[in-house]
Amino acid sequence: MAMSTILRCASVGLTSSLPRLSKRNSLAPARLLARTCYKRFLNTTAPFCAALKFTDKHEWVRVDSGVATVGISNFAQEALGDVVYCGLPEVGANLSQSDEFGTLESVKAASELYSPLTGEVTDVNDALADNPGLVNKSCYKDGWLMKMTVSVPEELNGLMDEAAYERYIKSIED
Amino acid sequence: MILRLSNRACVLSGSARLKSTLSTYFDEMGKAGIILKSASAGIFENLALEDWIHDHVDLQNRSILLLWRNSPVVVIGRHQNPWQECNLPLMRRLGIPLARRRSGGGTVFHDFGNINMTFFTSKKKYDRHRNLKVVTSALKALRPDLDVTATDRFDILLNGHHKISGTAAKLGRTSAYHHCTLLCSVDRSILSSVLKSNTSEVIRSNATLSVPSPVKNLSDVDPTLDADTIMEAIASQFNNEFGFDSPVITVDPAHEALMPGIHKMTNDIQMWEWIYGKTPKFSVCTSLVVDDVNIKLDMDIKSGTVEKCVVEIPEDWLPPETVNEFTSALNGSKYCPNEAAVLVAAFMRTRSMSADVAGKIHRLCEGVLSVM
Repeated sequence: MAMSTILRCASVGLTSSLPRLSKRNSLAPARLLARTCYKRFLNTTAPFCAALKFTDKHEWVRVDSGVATVGISNFAQEALGDVVYCGLPEVGANLSQSDEFGTLESVKAASELYSPLTGEVTDVNDALADNPGLVNKSCYKDGWLMKMTVSVPEELNGLMDEAAYERYIKSIED
Repeated sequence: MILRLSNRACVLSGSARLKSTLSTYFDEMGKAGIILKSASAGIFENLALEDWIHDHVDLQNRSILLLWRNSPVVVIGRHQNPWQECNLPLMRRLGIPLARRRSGGGTVFHDFGNINMTFFTSKKKYDRHRNLKVVTSALKALRPDLDVTATDRFDILLNGHHKISGTAAKLGRTSAYHHCTLLCSVDRSILSSVLKSNTSEVIRSNATLSVPSPVKNLSDVDPTLDADTIMEAIASQFNNEFGFDSPVITVDPAHEALMPGIHKMTNDIQMWEWIYGKTPKFSVCTSLVVDDVNIKLDMDIKSGTVEKCVVEIPEDWLPPETVNEFTSALNGSKYCPNEAAVLVAAFMRTRSMSADVAGKIHRLCEGVLSVM
């Protein structure tokens, strides 16, 4: 996505070098375009963009505009089996990283859920009350569990990115 | 710490060395497999014992089997609704308590004729089928002709049809436990009457539901099979299956010195807020007939507390203001007949009303209480 942006800027007479683009450009007619290119470039590489991070307890978290959405990974939902009940926290609950925040029940087993971050619960997925199977069917999207604020953003650095999580799963399976 | 050693059994007491806890005792034992038997018949003490072991004992390289029995009690699963699962008024009359466990699964009735087994392992070694194999193999070792098989829903069936064991489990951070029942000589008439709810049709809820099954006792097919013999066989088979060599160690879950923190756990699991308050949000919608008058009752209950109470009553039977005050008295209260009765009595004392109205309110209250 970044590559095509730069080429487009180059074709309208702007320099195509990346450092130039990322500096706020003072050329008036080009500035609007530069800013657009700059913004698009930022969205794909900034550390606070919406990429999934994972805990070793198989929860994922995605931060968007300061709000973290939390769910369980595909590995976890497969291991659990059909989820029949989601026990989620109350909105407003304050959680520290690793606190138990809820329970998922599947085939008579209750599995505890652990908070990936420190923060306050702002929303829980009410759709799961009548449709707990969403956790299995769409664990990264419609089966999200809760949203929370991010009180300690540094905690995100300690979580695994997708590639590291894939390696982690392989190591457990062996 | 060990007081008595007889026939591969020993009893632990914390009085000899107060610094040691059960956890350090296991470390000192250095065994990979340990068999415990609870000295208590109290459900709350035994559930707390399970929690304590799960939270405090290092199970990464160790597996534990806990054998326990309780005096009569109904135990519901973590996410169940007791009003849907059992006959609470009957249980109150019979003095049979209700407990909620931390594992999932359905509702069961325990008495001394039922054996409970809890298999504690690391999450990696969590294997419910293998645990159930210990039970079925033990029974077959005792009586080779016994037809007992485990299903893929982790039940154990006798003669392919009658359920003699149900399973539930809890998975934590690094360890897990799987527990199951075993019907040896349970009072089946009490079992079937307490496990039949008197109000399930009027409840709308997303709580997990039990799957009712026909049950039988092992003693029904072989009266010579008793709980003690079976427990010994299971302990022996546990050692065989996993290559352990543990004696059966009796533990008293009331012993705080041995298990620091267990008293608080025992108290926590008896609290109304846990047993009833953890019921998933539900609503009750029913028609009552009081004095030949049809009354519609609509209640929403969250965390065991009445969030909304609406009663539709013909205006000529009771004035609407009185009805509103009655429902307001119940709003915010525990969904509990004792508490509701106290609140309504207080409500009636603080208002002057004719004997006729008072009598109607009293009978209306009885109707509402009957669904609690």
